[in-house]
Amino acid sequence: MNVTQFQLDALREIGNIGSGNAATALSTLLQRRIEMSVPKVWAVPFEQVSAIVGQLDTPQVAIYVKVEGEAPGKAVFLFPVESAEIVVQALFGTNEPLDLYADEMAQSALKEVGNILVSSFLVALSQFSGIPLQPSVPALAVDMIGASLDAIFLEEGTLEDTVLFIDTQLSGIPEIEGQFIFLPDDGSLQKLLGAMGL
Amino acid sequence: MNGVISVGMADYKTARSPDILLTAGLGSCIGICIHDPFLKVGGMAHIMLPTAVGSIGGNPAKYADTALELLLREIVGMGANKARLRAKMAGGAQMFNFPGKPPVLKIGLRNAEAVELELKRNGIPLLVADVGGSFGRTIHFDVGTGELRIRTINHGEKVF
Repeated sequence: MNVTQFQLDALREIGNIGSGNAATALSTLLQRRIEMSVPKVWAVPFEQVSAIVGQLDTPQVAIYVKVEGEAPGKAVFLFPVESAEIVVQALFGTNEPLDLYADEMAQSALKEVGNILVSSFLVALSQFSGIPLQPSVPALAVDMIGASLDAIFLEEGTLEDTVLFIDTQLSGIPEIEGQFIFLPDDGSLQKLLGAMGL
Repeated sequence: MNGVISVGMADYKTARSPDILLTAGLGSCIGICIHDPFLKVGGMAHIMLPTAVGSIGGNPAKYADTALELLLREIVGMGANKARLRAKMAGGAQMFNFPGKPPVLKIGLRNAEAVELELKRNGIPLLVADVGGSFGRTIHFDVGTGELRIRTINHGEKVF
């Protein structure tokens, strides 16, 4: 797939609109201010993903939602474990320490957060492109970031030499950090851009 | 000097004792470790997919079959005797489960099968296969002793 600079810009704009909606949803959910970075668009070999997410064996919470519909793809929310704890504590209205590795209630709450955030992202994307898109049931892993990402990127048993995705940093006040990744399947980007007349 | 040599995704490296090879954050990927216990040399490959056959191409170190071929060539090039080589592997997890939707491909297990097949084809005994599960692994391999150390976040540490 050859991607022009113009298409990358369009993808960044998609990221802006969608991630903005997602950040607003997170802010409403947690009742605190959430800031969003300007989305970055990456077209890199997957092997270089550590340049984007850092040390591959750092534990993080990965909430993975498949995007279903005419322009399928994948959406992933990454939270450092401490940030995910703060998110769950805010939702449960508690300061008790949590064990995210074992606590099924906490895990289920995080999946719901992922569901809400991805849905808001997709609502924006659908409105913008006119292509209906739905989120799958969310799945969750609290594990090494590299392990979670390789499983997501390689799930179909193929890997393009260059993967294309949008990456947005979210940060809340206080102490919440997160990262949102949207990965259109091969061909979906063309459909989205086509629907927008690009 | 005891150095730690890091092997990235879709990458392979060789080393001589006392150096240690390391690869971090294996999910459905597999770390293949091979050494010659007599000469105390060896190597590690971090493969992502089973076979280059029918694939789009690109970096051959991505695939079990082509990566192993490259790795073996380099280890033998260091003077190792192919008949003495031994292998260990770790990884091949299924990290995510979607309720009610069994995974179509189980790419981790397919990777493990592909590595096993290629080793058998090359007549190299596979001494340890710590594969599967739903958790990530970081591995250290001592090319001198053949010791494989597997670290996880929440499933303990193992040494083979």
